[in-house]
Amino acid sequence: MDILKNMDEVLQYPNDTKVKDIVVKAIEVGIPPIQILNEGLIAGMSAVGKLFKEGDIFIPEVLIAAKNMHAAIEILTPHLAKAGVKPIGRILLGTVKGDLHDIGKNIVGMLLVGAGFEVLDIGIDVPKEKFLDAVRDHEPDILGLSALLTSTMLEMKEVTQLLKNSNFKKMPKILIGGAPVSQDFADEIGADGYAPDGVEASVKAKELLGIS
Amino acid sequence: MENKPNFERFRKSMYLQQSDRVPLAEVLISDQVKSKFLGKEVKDHDMESQVEFWSRACYDFIPIVVGMLGPGRVTDAAKIYAIVKHSLFEDSDKTKGWAAEGRGIITTAEEFEKFPWVSADDLDYSKFDEVQKYLPQGMKIIAVSGKIFTITWILMGFEVFCMSFIQNEALISNLFEKIGTIQFESFKKVIDKPNIGAVWVVDDVAYDAGLMVSPKYLRTYLFPWYQRMAMICKERNIPFIFHSDGNLWKIMDDIVALGANAVHPIEPKAMDINEVKRKYGDKLALIGNIEVDKLTRGTKEEVIKEVKKRIKEIGPGGGYCIGSSNSIPEWMNYDNYIAMIEAVLRYGNYPINID
Repeated sequence: MDILKNMDEVLQYPNDTKVKDIVVKAIEVGIPPIQILNEGLIAGMSAVGKLFKEGDIFIPEVLIAAKNMHAAIEILTPHLAKAGVKPIGRILLGTVKGDLHDIGKNIVGMLLVGAGFEVLDIGIDVPKEKFLDAVRDHEPDILGLSALLTSTMLEMKEVTQLLKNSNFKKMPKILIGGAPVSQDFADEIGADGYAPDGVEASVKAKELLGIS
Repeated sequence: MENKPNFERFRKSMYLQQSDRVPLAEVLISDQVKSKFLGKEVKDHDMESQVEFWSRACYDFIPIVVGMLGPGRVTDAAKIYAIVKHSLFEDSDKTKGWAAEGRGIITTAEEFEKFPWVSADDLDYSKFDEVQKYLPQGMKIIAVSGKIFTITWILMGFEVFCMSFIQNEALISNLFEKIGTIQFESFKKVIDKPNIGAVWVVDDVAYDAGLMVSPKYLRTYLFPWYQRMAMICKERNIPFIFHSDGNLWKIMDDIVALGANAVHPIEPKAMDINEVKRKYGDKLALIGNIEVDKLTRGTKEEVIKEVKKRIKEIGPGGGYCIGSSNSIPEWMNYDNYIAMIEAVLRYGNYPINID
């Protein structure tokens, strides 16, 4: 569909007018909402992610794209709901107790939405018990834990252990990220995955859920 | 441990030469760690105890912050901190408030105009005079400046800061100009004080995977300030050190071009120090690279092994100072920190002789 082409460029426009116009027009001409989402917005955001990963664009450009994507999805959401389209998975995100940082988490959240996930962000400085309650209440497919400090990343181990010792019917996969964290640390604490940035987090999240 | 400060040791390293041993270097050490080391409380403004710590812990210099903020965190002493704290955290329980990560204080031209800006004349330089009374023979002062990028985003909030590069570049330009001017003027006020041995600018522009913003913005708004500072240092024949966390590969040539003598802290997760040495070892001295995580969660043996490896691989020929890959925070394992210092004293003597 020509109208959905070059969406990565449209998503990087300084404002959301263009992308919203395209989505409205695509709906008007009868393109199925799922196609607008997958072949337009998600494909565009995926291309933006690739540019970011390769170092051709940086956080400002990705943030603009993510915010434009949000604006477009807002228009599309009722049409997706009407068509019975559901997100590809639900991810619960939070920064662990003692850590007040949320830039990284927010960017990861936006990119996960851009990849087609439903994201529930429960904030910063989250005690392990609150993570447990949120998992019980929302039954996410993935629990994403964030930390910026070497001192607070140890809290990830506490959350992971608490979750693994629980008896939830649906146990989420645990994905961790943040400056001091590594794959070795993920292995050490029994997390299911580690991602160094938001783009990789989207890839890893799909991998953990067996989505190609 | 017994060691007399010898700034010439550090200075030679900055100019890619070797002296008697690999120098130790940090730009920020928690006062709690200093207090434990000396067995008495060390306060920020107590220059006698500060000098005693840096000297007895085998450093050849004492870093003193000049400008609007301290490195790594906002200092209580800074007037601007009081403004930020009052504006952002007054009704909050975030007692350890870091910064506005979403929306900050200055998000529009009107807020920029209304902000109660300080000038370089309003800042406190008394530490640079006070410290003179206590400096032992051989020890110099490193003036720690920079933070132009960091203060800009703290005031704007990180998201607004990022978005403004694309949506409101005039505001970005005004803020960099204003903050750059204050930092540069305050730098000029101390550069000719007695015993200034080097200048260390601290400004995080990168994270593990790469730069936060396009290098074109750094070249337009940030590096010209540091280039001017480096030029003034060069005129005085003192080294200029650039610090940024994260992966700096895309700006390594810029760091050289702006006139830096050394780069710090070369985080192992972000950059391979052997590759940095191979590509830039003839242009830049290297500082840091002992992983904070290892110093925090590793064993003493692991720390010693890492220090020996760095000394053996990067030390020969000079141009390397050992230190953490960021700073020495209060939560670091104290025994590991001491093990790092002792390992440098034991294995860092030239000529290097490690199996």
